[in-house]
Amino acid sequence: MKKTLIGLLALTLMFSCKNSEEKNTEDQESKEVNVYTHRHYESDQELFKQFEEETGIKVNVINASADELIQKMSMEGEQSPADVLITVDAGRLERAKSRDLLQSIESEVLENTIASHLKDQDNHWFSLTKRARVIAYAKDRVNPEELSTYEDLASEKWNGKLLVRSSGNIYNQSLMASLIVNNGEEEAKKWAEAVVENMARSPKGNDRDQVKAVVAGEGDLAIVNTYYIGKLLNSDDPEEVKAGEKVGLFFPNQDGRGTHINVSGAGVARYAPNKENAIKFIEFLVSEEAQKIFAHSNYEYPVNEAVEPAALLQEWGDFKEDTLNLSQLGQNNKKAVMLFDEAGWK
Amino acid sequence: MLIVDSLSKSFDKGKSFALKEVSFKLAQGDVCAIVGESGSGKTTLVRLIAGLERPDGGSIILDGKEVSSIKKLVAPEKRNIGLVFQEYALFPHFDLLKNVMYGISKLKNKKARAKEMLELVGLSGMEHRYPHQLSGGQQQRVALARALAPNPSLLILDEPFSNLDAMLRMQLRSQVFEIIKKTGVTAIFVTHDTQDALSVADEILILQNGKIIQKDQPANLYIKPSSIYVASLFGNTIQLNKEMQTAFDCPLNPKCDHAIRNENLSINEECEYVTHARVLKKTFLGTGTQLLLKLDNGQKISVVTKEREVADRIKIGFNSTDLLEFTG
Amino acid sequence: MKQAGSSDIFSLKARLNRLKRDTNRWSVLTLAIVGFIALPIISIGVKLFAGPGETWGHLVDNLLVDYIGNSFFLVFFCSLLVLLFGVSSAWLVSRFEFPFRKQLEWLLILPLAIPSYIVAYAYAGIFDYGGSLELLLRVFDIDFFRIDMMNKFGLAFVLSISLFPYVYVSSRAFFLNQAGNLLEASTMLGIGEFKSFFKLILPLARPAIIAGLILVLMEVLNDYGAAQYFGVNTFTTGIFRAWFALEEPETAIYLSALLIAIVFALILFEKWQRKNQQVASQKASKFSHRKEFRKPAQWLIFFVVLIPVSFGFFIPLAQLIYWAVLTAGNVFDFDFLLLSLQSFWIAFVTAVVTVIFATLLIYFAKWSSINTVKSISKLGILGYAIPGAVVAIGIMIPTLALDKWIIGIMNDYFGISAGLLINGSLVALVYAYAVRFLAVAYNPIESTGLKVSKSIPDSSRMLGMGNFRTFLRVEFPLIKTGILSAIILVFIDVMKELPLTLILKPFHINTLAVKAFEYASDEMVMEAAIPSLFIIFTAAIPVIFLNRLLIKD
Repeated sequence: MKKTLIGLLALTLMFSCKNSEEKNTEDQESKEVNVYTHRHYESDQELFKQFEEETGIKVNVINASADELIQKMSMEGEQSPADVLITVDAGRLERAKSRDLLQSIESEVLENTIASHLKDQDNHWFSLTKRARVIAYAKDRVNPEELSTYEDLASEKWNGKLLVRSSGNIYNQSLMASLIVNNGEEEAKKWAEAVVENMARSPKGNDRDQVKAVVAGEGDLAIVNTYYIGKLLNSDDPEEVKAGEKVGLFFPNQDGRGTHINVSGAGVARYAPNKENAIKFIEFLVSEEAQKIFAHSNYEYPVNEAVEPAALLQEWGDFKEDTLNLSQLGQNNKKAVMLFDEAGWK
Repeated sequence: MLIVDSLSKSFDKGKSFALKEVSFKLAQGDVCAIVGESGSGKTTLVRLIAGLERPDGGSIILDGKEVSSIKKLVAPEKRNIGLVFQEYALFPHFDLLKNVMYGISKLKNKKARAKEMLELVGLSGMEHRYPHQLSGGQQQRVALARALAPNPSLLILDEPFSNLDAMLRMQLRSQVFEIIKKTGVTAIFVTHDTQDALSVADEILILQNGKIIQKDQPANLYIKPSSIYVASLFGNTIQLNKEMQTAFDCPLNPKCDHAIRNENLSINEECEYVTHARVLKKTFLGTGTQLLLKLDNGQKISVVTKEREVADRIKIGFNSTDLLEFTG
Repeated sequence: MKQAGSSDIFSLKARLNRLKRDTNRWSVLTLAIVGFIALPIISIGVKLFAGPGETWGHLVDNLLVDYIGNSFFLVFFCSLLVLLFGVSSAWLVSRFEFPFRKQLEWLLILPLAIPSYIVAYAYAGIFDYGGSLELLLRVFDIDFFRIDMMNKFGLAFVLSISLFPYVYVSSRAFFLNQAGNLLEASTMLGIGEFKSFFKLILPLARPAIIAGLILVLMEVLNDYGAAQYFGVNTFTTGIFRAWFALEEPETAIYLSALLIAIVFALILFEKWQRKNQQVASQKASKFSHRKEFRKPAQWLIFFVVLIPVSFGFFIPLAQLIYWAVLTAGNVFDFDFLLLSLQSFWIAFVTAVVTVIFATLLIYFAKWSSINTVKSISKLGILGYAIPGAVVAIGIMIPTLALDKWIIGIMNDYFGISAGLLINGSLVALVYAYAVRFLAVAYNPIESTGLKVSKSIPDSSRMLGMGNFRTFLRVEFPLIKTGILSAIILVFIDVMKELPLTLILKPFHINTLAVKAFEYASDEMVMEAAIPSLFIIFTAAIPVIFLNRLLIKD
């Protein structure tokens, strides 16, 4: 028994030495970058490969939901191997920042490429791509002239006609947060209550399912992300493509503050062991070549203005976006969830 | 060679005792039978001796060495005790040879020894059979061979014949004890069948409710049982209470209990004490007849007689020499 | 000493003496294993003392009723459906002869091979607008009638149809091995087959059935993927919401504690059931032969048994295959094969490790002479009652502490700066799986172990072998089938496991379940089909093998 214990201990020590040696060499000239990401698209894999080829820096990836990644990073603390955190919404990045999991970085490239409302004021995180949260309507039943703003969705004329997914979804939470910031808590709660009244059915499924329900006539309007419409129109399933073609897209609040956008973004981890590589990595992701891949494979809007969005997105036309600083969305995220709960938005 | 001293065991933290302050000694080469009904604690007692249970009190000394007490416990594998289980417990995945060799794997000539043991129990030539291919009696003998192979200083047989039918049982009983005598091993065997005990044991120990109520040689035990319970273990016994004493007109010491064995009752013969009875019912048993009698004073008793033909009214009696007397 | 009696024997001093005598290394090792397994659970439990987060009140006001209501709804309806599917099919295959009976016997276990969240996606896809059912109806020119699956009724159906095999397996084992004499005796008394079944067999089979049902209910309460997709709020979705959306781990832990309390109540209920069973347990008795009706009736039985197999396996499988065909080009490549292999060997290694732990726990406890230790050893299986995500966090707390301690030592004594050792390594992942799935391994090993007569190891010890050698030479060969079943069951569970894997998996390593989830959570449900099919495929083969073991046993 004792022998086994001693053996085990020796083994652990051996391993740790090995590990630490690796770590030492990393410090001198690291050839790695560890990425915690919530994005798990095929196109991202391609991008990472491309980065590896160009720089010789190996990209190690952990895919999980942003919530879990943040939890993981905060538990790992100083020892966290994470260099870069990528999420698909600003709210989570803001949360990571508030938990002191990200660090401020200086990068002229990022500074020059990304519009100020799309990044953190203290340079803790930067947007990579944008999606607009828009209204998809049944072309055969709804006159787009009747549509105007998010606020209008609360009006009685849409009673029983509205389709939207559950409040557990971060995009809904971000939208709600934007309403809180723009209209105040009380108005936002009233809005949520009225929207719940107008719902054609209890919230369920994902954004694609909302569009399909519109096509099937269960309701007339759906609140969805542009990016999912793109996916629908390019689906492998011919039925989904048909569904996508039957809805029109409306960008709300064009006469006012602009359409609510949410972003995917990245930040450098507070204790990043490979900080330089991490910065290089994020700079690469906003470079023109990378942004093109984002734009063309995933139907997201590039943050690098030099890059044109995909043809499909261009068809939908330009739109005015809400330039509310995204940090504020994150700060109001929890409030948004609680208001949803109070309004009975499942 | 075996000393058991006020051994106690409880399975429910002292609410009840499976064994309570049991003490006895066993000499080298003796065969001791432990007799008791089920639940009397006899299996617990041998498992304690084997080291498979842990005593709550008392001690066990084997060959001058303390093996069990509340402070010490020698593991069963280090006691050199052989144990033959009620259900034989042969290893189903080993053939007979491997079963017998199991306990002597450290011996150089283990194979020869195992074969020798199988021969001793009359199973040579079956070395490569598996347990499930054997009859119950054969399995029993393999179990014996396996237990004897390591030359144990003490052999314990737990209800060795209870799973066998009557014919086989008689046969095997004599075989097994012949082997035991041949090897000269000290042995304890547990049984609820007093015939087993009387025929082979040097000494019998009677357990009731976890206590030893009598320990003696077979003949003594039969002639002078310490209680009516012990007496009844060795054959049908009729208690002589006040009414019976009046019926037979035999005033006895009122401070003692008395009984008479069924086989000492004579029918239609001259005896010291007699009475008449009416036969209410006759049941033919083959070797004799069971009679339900109504004595003249109204007492009903049941007796067995060897007679086949019995009249409806009989005389029944016994002699004072056959009286069993129990003090206190 | 003579007049001492019980009071002296059970005096404190005597007790302590005996405790000292009976404390052996097995007792210590048993406690060590239980401690090792319970460590993450304890770490979380300790946090309960910190009190719930500030949103606890908010949660109680707005959501708790919904969580409790839905969870009880699911427990109730799933119990009904699972019993209906599981018990009826088990009885039919063990009592009657009908066409394709042998094939159906193992097909009935196969729904276990599909993770329930995948079944949920498949059913949503079938009943979707433009889904398979609509397409099919269009072929026959029938108007589309839509059944809405995405509500709590649909969820109860999906969970039941994918989990009923637990009840099927446990009740079939009883019917096959125990019901023979009973039914014969009962029919001899002139009581009809139907009545005998309900009046006699069913009450006696109850403990076996309940044992299976408890496993189902634990899975139901732990489900996250399906409930979340169908928009049904349950305790588990609530835990995720509190932890992540409301950013309050403390509140999530309170919800977990509530959930665990419910599950423990169910477990206690089951234990109590088993106690009754021991009284009623009897010798094995198999049916001498299966009853044979005339052909039309036999076909009727065939179709009845086909219903749960179709809903639980063939229909979702067909939907997945359809999606797989549509998306094959995008998903299938060399990397994917590599990933499948990785999944496979992680599951295999985990299964072996978990089974070793379970076996050691069972046998160390058996060799320990202290009854309290034996009772404590049972605590080792409680990990199964705890949601995967909670176990994962529970694992991170102690392993990180250990890592940091090692890092400190390395720094202080050797001047080396080390990285995290255990955390983010396969060790932590396998540890977590072992904590979660120990119960899965424990049950089959324990029950085959119980079939080995106590006198077998005893006689080995009387022949001079110690506990360990006795185990290796005598007991292990006799419980091999149980060990193998345990390995297979854990293997399948690991292949399907999701939330825990998401949190703890190391760099460079991925599993099929994670891959499927990544696609699905990105609204690429169709693309999730191929990894799902691979999970089903790798799990189905051992399931079929398992069935053979169970029948032989």
